[in-house]
Amino acid sequence: MKNADQNKQTAEGGDNGVLRIKNLTKRFGAHLVLESISLGIEKGKTTVVIGPSGCGKTVLIKHLIVLLRPSSGEVYFKGRRIDNLREQELNEVRMHYGFLFQGGALFDSLNVFENIIFPIRQHFRINDWKVVEDLVKSKLSMVGLDGFQNYYPANLSGGQRKRVALARAIALNPEVILYDEPTTGLDPIRADIINELVLKLRRELGITTVVVTHDMKSAYKIADRIIMLHRGRLVADGDAEHIRNHPHPVVQQFINGQVSDEDLAALRMSGTVSQTQFMPRDFAK
Amino acid sequence: MIETLGARTIRGINNAGQFARFAWQSVLTSVRSIGHFRTYPLVLSQMNIIGVRSVPVIMVTGAFVGMTLAVQAYDQLAGMRLEEHLGVLINISVVKELGPVLAAVMLAGRVGGALTAELGTMNVTEQIDAIRSMGTDPVRHLVAPRVLACLLLTPVLIIYADLLGILGGYFVSVWQLGINSGAYWMFSASGVELYDVLVGVTKGFFFGCAIALISCYKGFTCKEGAQGVGQACTEAFVASFISILALDFALAVISKAIYNSFWPFKSLVS
Repeated sequence: MKNADQNKQTAEGGDNGVLRIKNLTKRFGAHLVLESISLGIEKGKTTVVIGPSGCGKTVLIKHLIVLLRPSSGEVYFKGRRIDNLREQELNEVRMHYGFLFQGGALFDSLNVFENIIFPIRQHFRINDWKVVEDLVKSKLSMVGLDGFQNYYPANLSGGQRKRVALARAIALNPEVILYDEPTTGLDPIRADIINELVLKLRRELGITTVVVTHDMKSAYKIADRIIMLHRGRLVADGDAEHIRNHPHPVVQQFINGQVSDEDLAALRMSGTVSQTQFMPRDFAK
Repeated sequence: MIETLGARTIRGINNAGQFARFAWQSVLTSVRSIGHFRTYPLVLSQMNIIGVRSVPVIMVTGAFVGMTLAVQAYDQLAGMRLEEHLGVLINISVVKELGPVLAAVMLAGRVGGALTAELGTMNVTEQIDAIRSMGTDPVRHLVAPRVLACLLLTPVLIIYADLLGILGGYFVSVWQLGINSGAYWMFSASGVELYDVLVGVTKGFFFGCAIALISCYKGFTCKEGAQGVGQACTEAFVASFISILALDFALAVISKAIYNSFWPFKSLVS
């Protein structure tokens, strides 16, 4: 089944893929994070990458925009190989991307308005500030935060920061948006607002979307296709229904939020709570 | 034991190589930035943070250096009935060595620490990756303005330190120790040459560049977490401090060689 998933994946990445990865392997020193990943991301679709913490999801998504360089393998954007480009050449390619970082990565020293115009100022000469103000207003309206232009990131809640970061990510009208754990750390309602925004942007702007998450509710809601990573390897690939019925035990454990027998055994080996627990007052004795 | 030593050596060489690449790229980008008017507001902003806000602390440093030198050197000179030569001793020490070095050390602590902490925090909160993801070179946006600001303003700050060192030394020598004011300045003028002042100020370009490059590098490569940022700040200060001392020694040797070779001909141009 795993092979079938991977074969399908490689084939899909061939023609329609706006983004394509071939045999991507990434090591940090001796630690192997990703092993021979091949996949294609279809244009205009939402692809969700799921997997347990530390399985290499964020490393994978950072390779799609070449924020990380592969140890071996290739990355293509619209048929052009980009993993071997110099930083200066990559900067031109990256203008076609938007990236929503896990914590938002807003610039603390700039207010919301300045954060959103940052990518615009870097690439275009601003002659008419009225146009820019209208643009910022429209981007903030899309994420439901018009009127927050003069706020600083420190004065925003976690959800608001992510929405401002999303407004900044779409400032250059990108063809691809990459979301790194967009709903992590948010309450269910704010998480759903982010999900609705992802759907809205895809629907209204036709943007190709890649989302990294371990929030299955979010994944089922927004995904056209779900890919699962486990220990640096691709173990499942298909639509929500395919993933729900996937026979691989690792996939079932993950989507149902069940601890594995291996982990349970390790917990039992570690002794009972009463054996290990102590209170600060014990030190005083 | 041998394995650990080998691993540390390899890590050290690797770090040195990475720093050399970073420094080369930063210097190149900084030179190119001079031609881009878009960089100027960033440089001016950094000049305010790095330069203008450092003026008080640099002036205080300079003043205390001059005053302390006067107090320490007076007894030795008075023992030889040479106390009126105190001015030349204080002023040549201040403009050539102590002013530049102590001003640079103060800057390494005040500015270098702040640069590393700021860039380190930006690094661990993915703000540097965010800049890259938006198609902007973080070295051009973050490092070049800081390098240029440090490069341009460290010599100016050294002049401030020198001036206050000279004044501090003068006030203690004349008002507290009772040395004749005219004699103080006369001996100072006869002993301190323009070349000495130029050497001191020129050191500022090298010190400023070293502080900015080391601090930015440590910020860019700092490990995650509060401990990582704190460690990067400490390492940046220690590395800057050692670099200042090493550069000071190298520049002292070079300036002496230049003086011995060319300065004797000063009478031809003056």
